[in-house]
Amino acid sequence: MSTITAPVLRTGLLVRHNLMLRLRDPSQIISYVAMPIVLMMVLKPLYVEALDSGTVQAVTGPMVMFSVFALSIVGNSIMVEREWRTWDRLRVTRAGRTELLLGKTLPAFLILLFQQSVVLGVGCAVLGLELPDVPGLLVLAIAIWGFTLLCLGSALATVARSRGDLSVVSDLGAIGVSALGGALVPVSLMPGWAQAIAPISPGYWAMSLIQAALAGDGAAMVRPGLVCLAIGLAFGTFATYRLARGWGRSRLL
Amino acid sequence: MSSNRPTLAREPATRTPPAVHPAPVPAEADGARADALLEVSGLTKRYGEVQALGGFDLTVRPGEIVGLVGHNGAGKTTFVDVVSGLIRPDEGTVLIAGRPPVPHRHLIGVSPQHIALYPSVTVREHLKLFGGLAGLRRRALRSAVEELAEDLRLTAFLDRPAGLLSGGQQRRTQAGVALIHRPRLLLLDEPTAGADPETRQALLETVRGRAAEGAAVVYTTHYLTELTELEATLAVAKAGRVVARGTAAELLADLSGEVVLEFADGEEIRRSTTDPTGTLMRLLAETTHTVTSVDVRKPDLDDLYRSLAMLGEVPAAGPPEGEAP
Repeated sequence: MSTITAPVLRTGLLVRHNLMLRLRDPSQIISYVAMPIVLMMVLKPLYVEALDSGTVQAVTGPMVMFSVFALSIVGNSIMVEREWRTWDRLRVTRAGRTELLLGKTLPAFLILLFQQSVVLGVGCAVLGLELPDVPGLLVLAIAIWGFTLLCLGSALATVARSRGDLSVVSDLGAIGVSALGGALVPVSLMPGWAQAIAPISPGYWAMSLIQAALAGDGAAMVRPGLVCLAIGLAFGTFATYRLARGWGRSRLL
Repeated sequence: MSSNRPTLAREPATRTPPAVHPAPVPAEADGARADALLEVSGLTKRYGEVQALGGFDLTVRPGEIVGLVGHNGAGKTTFVDVVSGLIRPDEGTVLIAGRPPVPHRHLIGVSPQHIALYPSVTVREHLKLFGGLAGLRRRALRSAVEELAEDLRLTAFLDRPAGLLSGGQQRRTQAGVALIHRPRLLLLDEPTAGADPETRQALLETVRGRAAEGAAVVYTTHYLTELTELEATLAVAKAGRVVARGTAAELLADLSGEVVLEFADGEEIRRSTTDPTGTLMRLLAETTHTVTSVDVRKPDLDDLYRSLAMLGEVPAAGPPEGEAP
């Protein structure tokens, strides 16, 4: 078998395997798709009454908020490998580090894209959200934010000492990131101190990125897109380092 | 079979198993190393204050089964982790077929000490996944799965998720994952721990078969009877290094048995000896008292295991052999 074909085949095997693992335990995915849809339908009248861009806020706010909650999907997909001791089992196979990491993260990435796409789709079909003339920008924005979430979730899973740790960090992080980022209340309506520190939240940049994409404003996407990518790269590098070397034998799991 | 000689030394003993002198493992002849599939030398590994490996040497040839024995904490699992490339040693070298292990993982099959299976994934899917990762495709993969399932008595459970298997079935699946691609080097870390007799039998037969086909096997266990069934060479690990090596029969031959004579006046004498019959005859010839009972106890595998645990420690002083009252 050629030196190119074999790694591709192995990566494909791993992607299929990890996708199968996720789909056999779909409760988190269902939950994080259903909850933002319910929330945006309930909140839309309020946002439309209060804001000129009420529909956009009603869709993108819950979408960003629950995409951060979905960090736990990524985290859990890695955490279970620690609990089941299967990651080391994969590490002693012929599959290289890159193949293992792609096989593990690509399915999680696809699930994150699926979640955001469904929420946006429902926003368009039911709430009347207008899509931009250039849908490629929106796809790009979702992909960048999905990458950022993937890297954040992976990094969290490699340092969390238990499933409880991961759950707490995911939940508190999701509330903090989405609240500070303007997913619940637009940043312009938040108190002054909150507006001042909003940019430390990845959710702030995600909201800016996705709302710019919905407006079809590619230039406005550059800065938030770069910030999201930088956050993703930083956490992704850390997660890659940890995943490639395993967790050792001194951990709780 | 190894050309190593056992390194246990004679030592007097009381009722407790006989102690043995710590002794260095003899170096392999150069010719013996030349065809080694696994060659490990001078491995050291430290976890903080704990010295897990302290100069671990081991050579295994194709077709050879080496039973790695030793108490918990002796360094067996760390050794397996290093050889399989999971952790890096602080010092020392590992060569598999003359090359470093990491780029040649296809040569290795590892069954870790703890169950490491995906609960929602069936036995067949496990075997297909790991067989596929090892390079098996389509018909070759299907036939490998069927054949191995039959060998390990898993055919009836092929489509059952691992989480619904019994402990023994999980053990066999775990071993199957290591065996599916017919590796040239098998690292089996306590593969029968907690297993039922059926599982043990299936695993031993399969391992013996793979060794007969030329695979080199490192088999860690606390059950010496399994190693005698496998006709394995024993390598005794203690404090992170191999302190003795030989077949069970060779090691037993160097262990002391015990001769006990009871006399009519209620006195008794006990002598530990590697020649129970000769010692008994000498004691009987020398004594002037009336002997009421004679007990000659030869060392068994339990004695061997306990004596192995004492390797490397200063043996307790025993009474001189052979002098009757």
